[in-house]
Parts: sequence; C-alpha cells; structure tokens
Amino acid sequence: MKYYEFGDKTGRYVGRTEKYDVYTSTLTEADKEENDNEEKTQGEIYFNYGPSAGGLRESVNFQILTPGESIRDVIINSGFKNRNISIIGDSISDAMLKVERINGFHSASHSIAYALAVEDALNIENDDLNDARIVEIELERIRSNIDVIKGLCESAGFAVPEKQLLLLREEVARIISGAFAHRYYFSVNRINSIEGDFSRISLRTVEKQFRSIYEGLLSSKIFLDRIQENGIVLNPISTGPAARAGNFRYDARLDSKSLIYGKFNTVLEKDGDTFSRFLVRAEEIFESINIIESYGVKRIFRKNKMELSGSGDGTARIESPAGDLFYYVKIKEGKLADIQMSPPSYLNIRNFRSALRNKNIFTDFFFVWESFGIWISELEVKFQ
Amino acid sequence: MGELRHLDIGTGGEVSVNWFINGIRKRIQTEKLDQYRVMYPSVLEGMSDYNCPTEALRDGKWDMDKCIFCRQCDLDPTGNQDTYSVEKAIPNIFKKSLYLYPVDSGTCGACNVEFTTLFSPQYDSSRFKIFMANTPRHADALVVMGVHTEGMERVLQEAYDAMPEPKVVIGLGACALSGGIIGRGAMEKYDIHIAGCPPTPAAILKAIIEARDKK
Repeated sequence: MKYYEFGDKTGRYVGRTEKYDVYTSTLTEADKEENDNEEKTQGEIYFNYGPSAGGLRESVNFQILTPGESIRDVIINSGFKNRNISIIGDSISDAMLKVERINGFHSASHSIAYALAVEDALNIENDDLNDARIVEIELERIRSNIDVIKGLCESAGFAVPEKQLLLLREEVARIISGAFAHRYYFSVNRINSIEGDFSRISLRTVEKQFRSIYEGLLSSKIFLDRIQENGIVLNPISTGPAARAGNFRYDARLDSKSLIYGKFNTVLEKDGDTFSRFLVRAEEIFESINIIESYGVKRIFRKNKMELSGSGDGTARIESPAGDLFYYVKIKEGKLADIQMSPPSYLNIRNFRSALRNKNIFTDFFFVWESFGIWISELEVKFQ
Repeated sequence: MGELRHLDIGTGGEVSVNWFINGIRKRIQTEKLDQYRVMYPSVLEGMSDYNCPTEALRDGKWDMDKCIFCRQCDLDPTGNQDTYSVEKAIPNIFKKSLYLYPVDSGTCGACNVEFTTLFSPQYDSSRFKIFMANTPRHADALVVMGVHTEGMERVLQEAYDAMPEPKVVIGLGACALSGGIIGRGAMEKYDIHIAGCPPTPAAILKAIIEARDKK
C-alpha cells in the first residue's frame, strides 16, 4: 500500500467501506452510525414514495416526514435492490467483470480505481496509462454531469432543454462507443491495460451544443427560481461536486496520488444549494473538455493479456463524477482475498437527507435529489 | 462566485430564450433504428472453446441471453443489434399504444439509462406508439431490469399483479434474463427477451416492434 496505511484519522473524511472509515491517507475501523431520525409529532405523517414509482430511475424508498407541505425529515431505505456479489476468491481479472458492473454509468471510474488498487498491491508499473485513464474518467464525468442537469430540467418540466440534453448524453455515449466499442466502458479497462482508440474522441460539437443549452438555462428566471436557495448543504463532511458547491476544495484529482493530474481549474461555488451544484456540474463539463484536450491522447491502446499472480494489498482513490471513489484490495496468490469499496454516493445520500430536512417543501424534493447524482447501485452492494 | 466560470449568470439575460422556438430551430433529430451501430453488444458469430463464466458458451453454442459481451472468447461481433428473441407476440390491442412500466430489480444502472434513452430525440419511442407509464396500473408491459434481489422480489410481484390484463413481460438485459455475471435472473419467464449488457436502445425498440408485428 503506497498511499494508505491503517491508523489514526488524518485528513478529510472520504467515506466508508463495509469495514473501514476512509480518510485521505488512512483507514480506520468503521464507527457505528447513530440513528438521528426526527421524532414524528402530532399532525405529521410519513409520506411513502418508492421503491418502484414513476420518476425514480432506481429502486429506492423514501419516507418523507411532513405536516403537509414542508419536509421535516426523509428516511431513505436504499436496501431494496441490495446485490450480493460473490467476488472473494475470484481471480483478479474475473473480478473486474463484476467490479465494472457495480455502477454501470460510472464504470470507467470503478474499473480504473480497482485496476489501480490491484497494480498498487502487486507493484505493477502503470505510469504509461495515467493520461489515458484520466481521459476516460473525464469523458465519463461529462456524460454524468449532462445527465444530472438533464434531471434538473426534467424536474422543472423544461421539456425542450431536457430532450436536448438527452440528445447530448446520447452523443457522448456514441463518442465513448466509437472509441471503446462499448457505451459503458465494459471490458475496456484491465489490470495494466486498456482497449480503445483514443483518436476517435472529439468533443468540439458537444462543447458547442452544451454551451448553447447552458446559456439558455442561465437566462431562464423560471428555471433559476426553482433551483436557487433550496437543498442547501454546507457540510465539511461531503464529497465531489456537492462539496465544491459549498466552497470546500475537495477533489481527489488534487489530493490523491493514484492518478496524477496536470494543472486544471477547480470549480467552486459558495451557497451549497441546488443551483450551486448545477453550476459546478455545468462548469466542470467545460473543464473536463479542457483536461481531455490538454492531454492530447490520440493513440490506440490494445489489450495486454499478462498473467497476474502474487500477493499484497493495495488501495486507490480517484475523483469519480460524483466524488471520491476508494478501493482497497487484498490479493493472495493472484486471487481476491478481500475487497472494500467506498462510493461517493455514501456521503452524497447523507448530505441529500440533511439538505432536505426542515428547509424545503415537497416540490423541491426532485431538484435536490437530482442535483446530487446519487447511484443506489454502487451504494447497495455486498461483497461475498 | 467561483474562481472559474465559463459563463456568468444572466449571460443570455438580454435575449431570453424561448424554448419552444429553440426546440423547433434544432429541427428533427430522430433517426432510423439502424443508423447507429455499436460492436458490443451485437450478435456474435464464429467458434470458441472459451470456458465462459456465465455459461453463454456451451458445446460450441452461443446463448445470447447469458452473454455479457466481455470480449474474452473468440466470437466476433457483427454490429447487428438484433440481440433479442420473442417468445410471445404482443396482443393486438396494443397496436396503437403500448405503455411500459420499468422495474429495477437489481441493476448496475446501465440498463436504466438505456431504457430512458428510448425517449431521447434520436430514438423517440413515441413515433412507434411506445410510451412510459408512471404506475403499473396504467401499464401494458412490465420491463424487468437487473438480477433477482430479495428486497425487490415482492415489489416486482406486486407491480405485475397491479397491471391490467392482458399484460406483457419484457426481460431487459443479461442480469434480468439469466443473472449475467452478478447473480440469477429476476423472473422465471419473459414474453420478450432482450439480451445485452446493457441492450442498446435500438435493440429494445426493435424487439418490441417485432413482438407487436408478430402474428
């Protein structure tokens, strides 16, 4: 483990795996989480929404505590679709097929973080893949941010920009499939190898199209009114765009050594509301395009079928589109003996709840939910 | 104010955008279903003796429902997106409108995103009279995605029971059909099997159209 050690809490809190609390450079035993549900008082009801309902992309249940219009609390039951993934004892490469399906929409982030952790455990030299991996993750970030903004437009009933963003999301999916032969990066990343033609990545049209939609949204008072001053969260225990929207300069691209980024601009906002998260997501699309162009990776990478054996433990932390994504692996003679993963959705779903409590009304619910870009799939996974 | 911003708030403030006109100006972006192709997933051909972890290859025969298109075997992708099979035709009553209700039994999220892409301008499912229902009570077809999970078993059954007769069940993706590499299939039987990990939007629409046209 080059970048992590077991020990005391140091640095900022990044998230939690099944066993450990994760900080920027240390792992500690996970603390017990306390129940802090609000007491239901007279005249209040729990409004039950989900786990399967129109408007929900994934299966999740919300019990919204309300006296009528305002939201006092929301209890989130995300365990309905909990998947038990049998992975312990798998060979390192077979395990990759399962890891990339933990969160299909952020599969590049998950597969690269896992590959980096394995390479750390087995001391495999990987410097020549650094830039290409960054390009993959930034391209994934562009698609993911477009998707979050599309969700905000959908919540506002803005059908035209919603469809234009849906069109743009599909355009990015096609850029990904043109370069990697798959729309979700499945079977693209392996240990110490990538399969893809980076010369096919061109984002000029995407930038132009997005700029035009973004300009339109920024000029729409109705849209801005809907997302300003709701879902406020200014919590130092946060991650990703949600943290940066509250003026916390948290970014694994700045403070993790798993992938080495060159110079780039950090997008920060101050208010921590849905609008700030929208701005951060939108501005980061332009910044990701700048990052991709600055690397100028244009070559073809081919699959490298290297035999993998050895033992050791390794870690990796990268900035996935929603925030810090951490992997820990323990390998014994080429097989996985342990795997621990902390997804950004762990902190984001907690901050989503605190953003909603006591400050919002029912109609704010979807704006706040969409603005965090939470994926239940990566949250509800049990490794066996 | 952040330290970096490519556009300031109110950039277009002087000329407020009329989204209706804006939408019309962009013109129709809808495509034919075969206009865009991807290599994975697509129909595979050739021979391989690879020991497939999902048992999609047995005695030299390829079972597309089990395939996760992992590129480990020697089968070659054709680019043909017809990765589906129809067990039972969609009843005639749904010729003019078919409402789909999706249920996520235990997905990675990719099938969910591909399902929503059906409503993008490129695919525009409404031109095929295919729409989305917000409740199973208004649905004609249940679209099941993801592996079987304990928590969703009852929810899935309740959604099925809530649908009016006649009803159609569509299995979308390797996880729902066979469990793929993650677990076991979400349901025992489907009327329409749409293979892929995840299936492409074109494959989903083509499968439904074929099932509707089937006598």
